[in-house]
Amino acid sequence: MTDRPAIELARIEKVFPGRTPVRAVDGVDLAIAEREFACILGPSGCGKSTLLNLVAGFEAPTGGTLRVAGAPVTAPGPDRGVVFQEPALFPWLSVFDNVVFGPRMQGKPRAETDAAARRYLDLVGLSGFERHLPDQLSGGMKQRVGIARCLVMDPQVLLMDEPFGALDAQTRMQMQELLTHVWDTFKKTVVFITHDIDEAIFLADVVYVMTARPGRIRARIPVELPRPREIDVLTDPTFNKLRAEVLHLIREEASRARALAAGPAPR
Amino acid sequence: MGAGTSSTTGPGDSVQGRALWGLRAATVAQALALPLALCLLWEAAGRSGWMPEGILPPPSTVWQAWLAWAFADPGMGLNPYLGTWLPTVGYSASRVAKGFAVAIAIGVPAGILIGWSRMIARSVDPMIQSLRPIPITAWLPFSIAVFGIRDMGAVFLIAIGAFYPIVVNTTAGARDINKNLVRAARMMGASERQLLLRVVLPNALPSIFTGLRLGLGIAWTAVIVAEIVAVKSGLGYVLWDAYYVGRMDVVIADMVSIGIAGFLSDRLLLLVSNRVLHWKQFGAR
Repeated sequence: MTDRPAIELARIEKVFPGRTPVRAVDGVDLAIAEREFACILGPSGCGKSTLLNLVAGFEAPTGGTLRVAGAPVTAPGPDRGVVFQEPALFPWLSVFDNVVFGPRMQGKPRAETDAAARRYLDLVGLSGFERHLPDQLSGGMKQRVGIARCLVMDPQVLLMDEPFGALDAQTRMQMQELLTHVWDTFKKTVVFITHDIDEAIFLADVVYVMTARPGRIRARIPVELPRPREIDVLTDPTFNKLRAEVLHLIREEASRARALAAGPAPR
Repeated sequence: MGAGTSSTTGPGDSVQGRALWGLRAATVAQALALPLALCLLWEAAGRSGWMPEGILPPPSTVWQAWLAWAFADPGMGLNPYLGTWLPTVGYSASRVAKGFAVAIAIGVPAGILIGWSRMIARSVDPMIQSLRPIPITAWLPFSIAVFGIRDMGAVFLIAIGAFYPIVVNTTAGARDINKNLVRAARMMGASERQLLLRVVLPNALPSIFTGLRLGLGIAWTAVIVAEIVAVKSGLGYVLWDAYYVGRMDVVIADMVSIGIAGFLSDRLLLLVSNRVLHWKQFGAR
């Protein structure tokens, strides 16, 4: 057993170059433990998606160090599964072929992969939809495919970028329950980006609240709610206490962001 | 309620099917009405002597000429317009097929690479774009000088003509890719090669097929031009030859043959396209 964190960010900075360079995140320190379900919560435009893209390896930080399982991140790879906000499935492939895409690219043995794909499709409740095309699925079902295609690669961490943000309230709640169920079965390190406070507390072991741009980690709030969690948790007094605490932090950040936007840019 | 609605299943289906068929027959009839009326007018103009037969023979004469061209016994082979229609169409069609295949084989990979890599685009695209305005007719002397009066000359012209729409549309298709699809593929461990073949190429297929249809149209133009000038067989050759010997009936039968061959090859391509792009049938992405 090691105490080495699964994901480790030290003084991470990302500046997007251009006529007016944008400092998206600035000096982020973050250590996410192995098998921790971490929710990163922040006002829109605070750089939380940028943070995820850095961990995924889609973009390179302009400063600081970034390690996943002790190794520096240089490029995207199957050790870090990503569930995108819009599902990003290949529309020309069936549900099944979308799920086995990763293992096929890596040249994994077919029989094993196919069995695993069926297992994960069953786990996310998509048995019987193997031959459907993405365009024939609802938004929630597409995201289930997106989750299954990550799980089938057996990644070390699962990175989720507001995956349920575009879904209607009812479907979102279903997907949250599904995700906790999946996570209880296959404990992985999860980084889940969201701006929905209830979603963050319901899902997370630890909620990290980000500041307005340039984004930093403002607070680390452990969620001591028992698992497995059901939707009743939403009315639990502990839940409400946490909710009030987080809401307060977010409000402060939101008003600070407004003040920054209204006033002169800080130099 | 009931009888009037068509959403029920069961016995109502055949009625609906017949209604659909009726609609199609009506559509076909509508499509044919105008050309038939023009043919009748043309026939009348020919019979009344208002239009000299040597310039514009009436449809009935053209039809007779075509029947002879298609089915008559060639006999001693002195009349080139007896029983030679099928091989003539075959020569042209096979040149189109060869030239078109060359255009696809070069145009699609080139388009994918130009669309994908800025470096390749910067070094190749300006050359392609500055050669593109040169019409295929301007390539004729070059083609004859290099390939002579042979099949290769025609194939070369067709390939040049069909290449541009294919490469331009493939480039556009390869460029127009959702960034997250590329990210997803990389996240799942796809190599650059796999990314191009499994993601960029299928993503570009709808525009590739647009390019193929445009290219095929140009291919038929090119084959006729090439056969008129640079090859001694095929529909283009017969077209010009018949004109020289004053067989306007054969000229018109030849033109109609070109039209039908072009139309059928386009339908065939459309059929392939619909099969390959079956995933597009559900619309919104």
